[in-house]
Amino acid sequence: MNFTFLKRVPLAWLNLTHDRKRFVTSLGGVAFAVLLMFVFTGFMNALYDSQIQLLTKLNGEVIVINRLKNNMFVPASFARRRLYQVRAFEGVADAYPFYISEGAWKNPETGQSFSVRTLAFNLGDPVLSLPAVNEYIAELQLPNAALIDTRVRPEIGPTEAGIVSELADRRIRIVGTFELGTDFASGNGNLVMSDVNFLRYFADRGPEEDTRSFATADLGVVKLKPGATVEKVVAALQQALPADVLVLPRDGPDGFVTRERLYWQENTNIGFVFTLLTTMSFFVGIILVYQILYTDVADHWAEYATLKAMGYSNAYLLGVVLQEAGFLSVLGFLPGFAVSYLLYNAAAAATGLFFQMTSERVVNLFVATFVMCLVSGVVAVRKVQSTDPAEVFGG
Amino acid sequence: MVATISEQNSVSVAKELAIKIEHLNFYFGTGELRKQVLFDISLDLPKGQIVILTGPSGSGKTTLLTLLGALRTLHEGSLQVLGKEIVGLPDKALIPIRRNIGFIFQAHNLFESLSASQNVETSVELTRNIGEKRQLAVDMLGQLGLSDRVDYKPNALSGGQKQRVAIARAMVNRPKIILADEPTAALDKASGRDVVTLMRHFCEEAGTTVLMVTHDNRILDVADRIINLVDGRLESDSDLETQTSRIS
Ligand SMILES: Nc1ncnc2c1ncn2[C@@H]1O[C@H](COP(=O)(O)OP(=O)(O)OP(=O)(O)O)[C@@H](O)[C@H]1O
Ligand SMILES: [Mg+2]
Repeated sequence: MNFTFLKRVPLAWLNLTHDRKRFVTSLGGVAFAVLLMFVFTGFMNALYDSQIQLLTKLNGEVIVINRLKNNMFVPASFARRRLYQVRAFEGVADAYPFYISEGAWKNPETGQSFSVRTLAFNLGDPVLSLPAVNEYIAELQLPNAALIDTRVRPEIGPTEAGIVSELADRRIRIVGTFELGTDFASGNGNLVMSDVNFLRYFADRGPEEDTRSFATADLGVVKLKPGATVEKVVAALQQALPADVLVLPRDGPDGFVTRERLYWQENTNIGFVFTLLTTMSFFVGIILVYQILYTDVADHWAEYATLKAMGYSNAYLLGVVLQEAGFLSVLGFLPGFAVSYLLYNAAAAATGLFFQMTSERVVNLFVATFVMCLVSGVVAVRKVQSTDPAEVFGG
Repeated sequence: MVATISEQNSVSVAKELAIKIEHLNFYFGTGELRKQVLFDISLDLPKGQIVILTGPSGSGKTTLLTLLGALRTLHEGSLQVLGKEIVGLPDKALIPIRRNIGFIFQAHNLFESLSASQNVETSVELTRNIGEKRQLAVDMLGQLGLSDRVDYKPNALSGGQKQRVAIARAMVNRPKIILADEPTAALDKASGRDVVTLMRHFCEEAGTTVLMVTHDNRILDVADRIINLVDGRLESDSDLETQTSRIS
């Protein structure tokens, strides 16, 4: 290896940073493109990730649903006795009914009503892997008691224990909080309560609303015995149960969670719109960086041509411009990433959606930024290559 | 020793030529727009000679300089630079030839972002003499009277100082040939004179051949020889060495 390049005059770096103001503006431009890409991919992923938040918290390897419920928005329920049948199968440890209903929540401060989703279950069943919920089992036994999601939308009002308000025109008292977040099916937020309390609110809401009873459940959460094979149990259950219910593994490529995510990907324009916006940001970035690099080349036309007249090859000049592109991508990415990180937190707080900055997504966007700068560099470099060293003469 | 040197001098005259031009034609453009700029130029420049090229505007002086500097591909006639024929060579093959030549332009063409020393170092780096580049650059700048300015950026230097940095950049690798196009045009009378005197001093010492285009009549006296180009043809060629004998 030959490290002489380390001792070379760092022309790319010095040219890029020589004019401080322009350098900062350039980094701002790159950072802005990075920010746009983070925001758009962030919203897209948040919309998808949020849809499956609740689903991943269900404490069972197998899920039973009404065959018509092809996404969480469909309020179809199934006969609860199916779950008694399920319990008799080999490998099944238990099967828990889970109840879900929409209801109007009154903001205790403004008196305005907003739709929220109520999640309910037998307090003896460990249906949800939400530690916060399990801490409040005793309090939830009380009549008209519920937990409120701290990540509800701001319209719902304050979220703390002790709040008294109305759900479906009945008094309700908040005895604690948990953290889940909103999705398309949850309206403005979530409440958790016991199945007994659930019936108080939703058994009979008047002629226009569905009546609810313990005869039907919205989800069946099936807990397997240790050592049982998920695929085998699913196949056996589906074989034996009538066709009005659908049996799915919770995880895996054909699972309940993936199915929900795919439903929203395939049946909304979210993916198309946000991918388009992200791609546009990418191209805005290319144009911005091209402008920066081209300005450098144009401003130093005579100097670059002089280098060529001195005997430097095109490859050296390509190297200089590509290095500038590299510096811009790294140094522009960092502030763009930092601001995006703050923005993700702010957006999560404002919308209740689940904004995740996973390392995979950060790496992907860094690669995109690098490619963005590289493409601009290559285009700008074609200008330098065309520099005629003879042009420097004659002033 | 002395005998051998003078023997060589008399035996191989061709070897002593830095540049040999024979029947060189040059055209700009192609097809309908093709326009001949240089006509049947034949010219020998011996090593160590300091030559001034004059002529009216548009006569082809700059064009001739770019050809000698291997900055353009050539197709007609013969042009040997330091014994190497460059007519017919492709652009890529011209690059190494340029490294034997120092260029000085009317504009200094220094990178504003680099210090005087770094600007000169870009030239040293071409020789791969990376370890000593700083020392070589500082020495060269010192010889041009800029030892207290080596770490200044160009915009902290005067016009004459900048042009001296450009000269240092052109000369630091001790090229066999220096090509200069109106190097004093942007300078006032006194600094122009200084710059030319310094160039002459160094080139004499190192045996460098200099071809300098100038319109400045006040500096004609530094030349050994004056060539006049009119409308792309050599009009006159006067060797001043024969008239005013120079001690060398
Ligand atoms: N790149 C080019 N393409 C076409 N024609 C050119 C080009 N460069 C110069 N010429 C033409 O070639 C001729 C010689 O130009 P050149 O620049 O060599 O003149 P010059 O003697 O250096 O003049 P000056 O004293 O004004 O610098 C002129 O007629 C000019 O218009
Ligand atoms: Mg000219």
